[in-house]
Amino acid sequence: MIELKRDALVFSFPEVHPSAVLSVDFQRTLRIPDDDKDYPLPPGLGRFPVRHVDDYAANVPKSWIEHGGVMLPMYQAEALWLNFGSEDVEDRDTPYPFAVMIATGKVNAVSGGTWRNGIHRRPQQDYVVVPEQPWLDGYCVEKGIIRQFVAMPLGAGYTTEEQITGKAEHGGLQIVAYPMKRDVFERRFPKHQRERVCYSAPMPCCCEAPSSMGLAPGGRMRQEIYDDPYDISDWDLDHGSRCFVHITNSMVWRQVSGENPPTTPPTSKEYTDAGLPWFEWYDDKNNPLAGNEALAGMKSVVQMGTQKGDVPLPENQSVTPQHVTALRKGLRRGQVREFEEQKTRDSQQIYM
Amino acid sequence: MSEPFGQYLRQKRETLLKQDRAYTVRKFAATVGVQPSYISKVEREEVGPPSEATIIRMAEVLHEDPDVLLALAGKVSADLRQVILKRPRLFADLIRQLKDAPDHALLRVVREVRDGQW
Repeated sequence: MIELKRDALVFSFPEVHPSAVLSVDFQRTLRIPDDDKDYPLPPGLGRFPVRHVDDYAANVPKSWIEHGGVMLPMYQAEALWLNFGSEDVEDRDTPYPFAVMIATGKVNAVSGGTWRNGIHRRPQQDYVVVPEQPWLDGYCVEKGIIRQFVAMPLGAGYTTEEQITGKAEHGGLQIVAYPMKRDVFERRFPKHQRERVCYSAPMPCCCEAPSSMGLAPGGRMRQEIYDDPYDISDWDLDHGSRCFVHITNSMVWRQVSGENPPTTPPTSKEYTDAGLPWFEWYDDKNNPLAGNEALAGMKSVVQMGTQKGDVPLPENQSVTPQHVTALRKGLRRGQVREFEEQKTRDSQQIYM
Repeated sequence: MSEPFGQYLRQKRETLLKQDRAYTVRKFAATVGVQPSYISKVEREEVGPPSEATIIRMAEVLHEDPDVLLALAGKVSADLRQVILKRPRLFADLIRQLKDAPDHALLRVVREVRDGQW
């Protein structure tokens, strides 16, 4: 089952294991410059609000009700990253493992393939493994490099869906999670003595819903997507759960939901000039996947804009991050690269 | 669940402290943003439970469910209060009717995200 708790999707599989619980939330963040330089990881600026589409049936396109799922608001050219968490299993010193497939506009963000049921390792792995993969910020375009998820209106030609399939049909994000089989989990992790050590007006578009957004490839960022360290047969494909996450333009979020959307995030330049930290993640125990040719062949938002004679990303100045905080595998549960407003804007006190 | 807030807080913090020195009273207080002496008083039940915002911060640091900590402190979170105030009679009735229901019956009323045709 999937529940919506405090703006996070919570996938639980009590029929597999009581601790088989995965959470996925959607973090607001800076849009990194789309200038073909490689940037470190930007911070999390808090969760996007997420709502059931059924609660706003009168205000959303009919197709959204057919798809079911949830919706969230994004400004045009705003970026997002996915934050994964799974529950610690008592006496086994590990969170429960999951295989998670992520697509945007039904195009796989890891393999670049169009939608297929199930998960696959051939010809290319098309999922990430949690907890090994703590975050996903974009499309896997090269070994160790992703292109950031950036919201663009569906139908304007920028989205990954339109670039790969030539169609503007689905938009949004699609997430499918499979837990590890219980017997495999118990064999692999035996019990032991516990040692817990532009924010601009929407572009005209030609699709059914003028407010529908898709995700497009933005700037380049250093982030590894890891090879599955387990066997494909270890995943319990009989107990998958999936969710369609619709994206609506923040400019119309109030009309749709009656709530104000979050404020616009700072630009990369404003953030960097304020001396705030960027992040690098190190995990030398897992192997990064090679990038995908189809995804690598896409034009970034700026490249596509140049081709069209548009300027789709305002405030796209290059920056040189001065404060880069290294994060290593082995963070405690709940520790993310999260910006905490309650704390001072001191890099030492930003939650890591 | 019926133990006092301060006792519960101390037990959770000390459990984490066995593995991580970030959970001494001093460091825990600094992370939460209060004085160490205040934490000691709360844990000894010498003062009443902290404000909602502080309890939520404590829950984050201790990796606890904020609703559980708020309930132990005899509080209801502001978002839940708003929900109840919109339909107070209905929610009061609902909670009273469900008070003795077993967990599996309660889980049936938990709302799932609906999947449709893609």
